[in-house]
Amino acid sequence: MLKVMNEKELKQFIDKLNNDYKVAAPVKKQQGKQEILEYDYIEEFEEIHLEEQPDKSPKEFFLPQNEVLDPEAIAKSNPEENKTIIFGVRSCDIEALRVFDDVFLDDTYVDPYYEKRRDNTIIIGYSCPHREPTCFCDQLGISPHENKLADLYLYKFDDKYWIKSINEDSEKLIKDLADGDEDLFDEKLKNKKDNFGESDFKFNMETPIPEEKAFNAPIWDDIAEKCLGCGVCTYYCPTCFCFNFFFDEDDKENQKYRSWDSCMFSLFTKHASGHNPRETQGQRWRQRLMHKFSYHPQNYGGLSCVGCGRCVKKCPVTLDIREALKSTEEYLKDEGGAVVED
Amino acid sequence: MKTETLLDHKAEIIKITQETGVNLNIKTFRYRFLDEEIRKNFTFRPGQFMMVTIDGIGEAPFGFASSPTQKDYIELSVKNVGLVTNAIHNLKVGDIIGVRGPYGNGFPVEETIGKNIVFIGGGIGLAPLRSLINYVLDEEKRKQFGNVQLLNAFRSPDDLIFKYDYDKWENSPDTIVKYTIDEPCEKWDYCVGFPHTLLKDELNCELQNTKYFTCGPPIMIKFVTEELKNLNIDPADIITTLEMRMSCGVGKCGKCNIGHYYVCKDGPVFTLEQLGEMPDEY
Repeated sequence: MLKVMNEKELKQFIDKLNNDYKVAAPVKKQQGKQEILEYDYIEEFEEIHLEEQPDKSPKEFFLPQNEVLDPEAIAKSNPEENKTIIFGVRSCDIEALRVFDDVFLDDTYVDPYYEKRRDNTIIIGYSCPHREPTCFCDQLGISPHENKLADLYLYKFDDKYWIKSINEDSEKLIKDLADGDEDLFDEKLKNKKDNFGESDFKFNMETPIPEEKAFNAPIWDDIAEKCLGCGVCTYYCPTCFCFNFFFDEDDKENQKYRSWDSCMFSLFTKHASGHNPRETQGQRWRQRLMHKFSYHPQNYGGLSCVGCGRCVKKCPVTLDIREALKSTEEYLKDEGGAVVED
Repeated sequence: MKTETLLDHKAEIIKITQETGVNLNIKTFRYRFLDEEIRKNFTFRPGQFMMVTIDGIGEAPFGFASSPTQKDYIELSVKNVGLVTNAIHNLKVGDIIGVRGPYGNGFPVEETIGKNIVFIGGGIGLAPLRSLINYVLDEEKRKQFGNVQLLNAFRSPDDLIFKYDYDKWENSPDTIVKYTIDEPCEKWDYCVGFPHTLLKDELNCELQNTKYFTCGPPIMIKFVTEELKNLNIDPADIITTLEMRMSCGVGKCGKCNIGHYYVCKDGPVFTLEQLGEMPDEY
């Protein structure tokens, strides 16, 4: 189902959705002198900023930075009759949900907290308006223009907004809007794609990256030389999901807390005995890159990097995963193989 | 498909055994689930592990030290090394702990049926092996397995654990039990030396039809498995169990992986053949 709106109609559409559901979208927040663009529930349409890449992905809606593990509380806070709609999500951040689904909806052990939030969320994607210099989703097989993992997709061509349903369930949300002309839409989308440009960074490796060869490559200490181990890359990463549990001695109810953790921290793998399988920052960088490009793909099929470039943007010492991938590629090429020839 | 809330079930400590002296503080805790349904339906395999929660303090993984053939209670043996283990050591009979699990693959029990078995355990590493030893030597199970050899290694005579089991082990049919300590000592009539130096002369390491189970400090596992390989044992028949820091136990929290294998889910039991294919990061 394809529909078309002007900006005023889009506002009416979002306001109506916000009556029937809870709508979250990228909104600006003042943090000291800085403005942060992050997903939050909106009061009105005017708060929404679609044209810039949000500083944070919406992963906190699915895996909060801190949460109390309580199945009853989560059922209560996610009633079926009041779903959350996350509006304006870019393809990279939508693709990141595939990675979360792989892990948290894994057949062997389903995570009920994630499952509840995921089931209770409708995603409206937004076709990327432009490439950031740090973006490289196109190199990882992800289209910045649309993503089938969303429920609905919004496109802006000139001053018109087009919205397309991806599954039958979401058709009811847009059925009252004016029909769009399929041929005209296809032409405009093709035109957008043709003029969008490509990432300067080229990813030429076969994936999964060969585990043994890349693991033993003598490149990791050099890659991590500047790394502070601050974990910012993993906190901003839309696909990073590692977590830890906490207990509060003063908490009379003895609740169990789950919080984000990071493979970039030295304590992440440290045993009580003092032994640490990953003692150096080089080993931790290797874990981060290999998890995304070798281990996750071996276990689940797809990469667990979506090329959003936030880790590049946010690193306080300008470490760049694209450079690390290039080093890996050059090493593997010298070793013969694992690189796709142009 | 199984839903995993990551929350524990309450269990009561019903017996505490001080295993070692002050130098290596190991205690064994016997517990029982408070909920009768759970108590009745709880099953596990030797080699699997549980997550034990001490409210307000933390949670850590422990291998089952008792055999699943023991239906009345479960045992875990704990060496006091960190925050959680220290809190466990401070528990008294009647105290409540949290337990969730079982997790992990467990020892390949079915593949071992009809085979001879060699157990080489060092220190607290004997605890996960004891689950399988007591399973194999259980009166009803004993005839399913061939001859059994045990080499139990400890630092000194003060460090022996599970002493109350030794009579039963030694008196089991077709079972040989040997003990060793690191250095010679008065009134010690058994073997002396690190276990890998004793394999050739003290045990009958057959090439065919035998499974080798070893667990102990990482360095001991390394030397024992290497020596077994030198004796031409097939790496697929050499089985060990690993320990890693973990939070979830179900392959999600991201801490315990060695390459693409998760010790909590794909392990903790691995053959030497599998370990050979894994990156050296444990």
